[in-house]
Amino acid sequence: MSLLFKGREAQTSSQSKSWIMRCYFFVLTVFRQGINSLGEMWRTPMASLMTILVLGLSLTLPATLYIVVKNVQQVSSGFSDAAEISLFVKDSMTEQQTQTLVKRLALYPEVDDVKLISKSKALEEFKRVSGFGQALDYLEENPLPNVVLVTPTSRYRKPQAAQQLLDKLEGEREVEFGKLDIEWLERLNALLSLLKESVVTIALLLLSAVILIIGNTIRLSIMDKKEEIQVLKLVGATNTFIHTPFIWTGIWYGIVGGLVAFMSVAMMLWWLESAVSMVAGVYQSSFVLQGLNGNELLTLLLLAVMLGFGGSFLSVHRYIKDIEPDKV
Amino acid sequence: MIKFDQVSKTYPGGHRALEKVSFELGNGELAFLTGHSGAGKSTLLKLISVMERPSAGRVSINGVDLNGVSNRQIPFVRRDIGIIFQNHRLLERYNVFDNVALPLVIEGMHHKHIAKRVHAALDKVGLLDKVRCQPSTLSGGEQQRVGIARAIVNSPPLLLADEPTGNLDPELSMEILRLFEDFNRHGTAVLIATHDLGLIARMKYRSLTLNHGRLSQDPLMEE
Repeated sequence: MSLLFKGREAQTSSQSKSWIMRCYFFVLTVFRQGINSLGEMWRTPMASLMTILVLGLSLTLPATLYIVVKNVQQVSSGFSDAAEISLFVKDSMTEQQTQTLVKRLALYPEVDDVKLISKSKALEEFKRVSGFGQALDYLEENPLPNVVLVTPTSRYRKPQAAQQLLDKLEGEREVEFGKLDIEWLERLNALLSLLKESVVTIALLLLSAVILIIGNTIRLSIMDKKEEIQVLKLVGATNTFIHTPFIWTGIWYGIVGGLVAFMSVAMMLWWLESAVSMVAGVYQSSFVLQGLNGNELLTLLLLAVMLGFGGSFLSVHRYIKDIEPDKV
Repeated sequence: MIKFDQVSKTYPGGHRALEKVSFELGNGELAFLTGHSGAGKSTLLKLISVMERPSAGRVSINGVDLNGVSNRQIPFVRRDIGIIFQNHRLLERYNVFDNVALPLVIEGMHHKHIAKRVHAALDKVGLLDKVRCQPSTLSGGEQQRVGIARAIVNSPPLLLADEPTGNLDPELSMEILRLFEDFNRHGTAVLIATHDLGLIARMKYRSLTLNHGRLSQDPLMEE
């Protein structure tokens, strides 16, 4: 492209001037610069290594927290259903009335299964399990109520639906009160969402730190190449041409830093795995520690690349415009 | 080619580097720009390569008014001008080939064409055998010639040289000037800023003399 001398272009370059070719050469140049800046990082490994490690470790922390949330969620999803509702039958009800209650409840569309635990049976079990066997014999009458265990259909096992069903069941005149053990579940869910929120907050803080770290590294690199930038400007390099290698450096930092984070998370999981499986074994649970899957690795890398791009973009636009060739 | 029309340049702080300078350099002309140090030679060259903007007046190249050139367009102006510096300004990190290839890489030229042109440019300055050397391993004269090869590699219609022989002995200086003459014979306009009056005297070319920012009448014009 010649601004001053029309028609010079034809003699300068023997290339086709169609815009498709021009775009092609532009993209080619950008990618060549990308490879070059990777090569440059390779030539100055120590300086790059420090930045990459800081970046990698800064990304490791949010990634680890994310994995913690993910695994806790996995554990709690096993408990997330309210499996049973216990209904305590009024003491004044006769055996007959209790039986009709059971039959009536079984007809509910929301109810999957109904099971009656009579007070005598409950007392027997209590004697057996509690170890108070002898002592309980001294009681004059059975203090336990008849209990109906209602198993809701799967649709009514979610905390809220189960709560509604409980309200409905408590409306039955034979029922003293019902109990649905979901409070602890709600607490767990609240804790989980608190954890998630803190992951987001910590991640945001660390990610801003990462942008600043990359921005500063790129700034130093720009200052280091001041002379070179001046010469480039003198021989007619556009700003895009001068900026691109620095932006690429930021992107490479992002990619390698992301991989470092992934590897440290993987190593941490490998380290913890045996301990976790021991705990799981004690609880006779089939819990398996979940790592980062392919999609999450991609997200991590993409995030790291975006941070690298953002940091270098800020520095490049802030500092390169101040470097002008001052001396002929 | 280059036309200065009542150009003045005042730097921030009040230093008047140029005052109402008017001259014209024809197509394919070779001229010297002389004057004591601080006379405004460098400023004049900076105005041509748009490193500075004039405070008043107009600089135009090939009929294009440089005042109308936006900052984004400056790189494209510089691609039409080969600039040679006293301290050659080579990039130490790259070898001779990469240094000379720089203007072509910037233009996005295909590397096959680049190799051909770089070799042609280095051949012209007689350094074809140093193509893989690092600039720091070359002598001062050789480094200057690499700088010249870089300036001419994309065959610009205009060459500017600021004290190109400043650090060289008379023999090497003459060699460099012969190179400029050679480019000039092929139609390139050349403007050489120098304070080496002995050198100018030996060659019969027009010389523009700056004195405290004003242009004295050049002797060749009076003849």
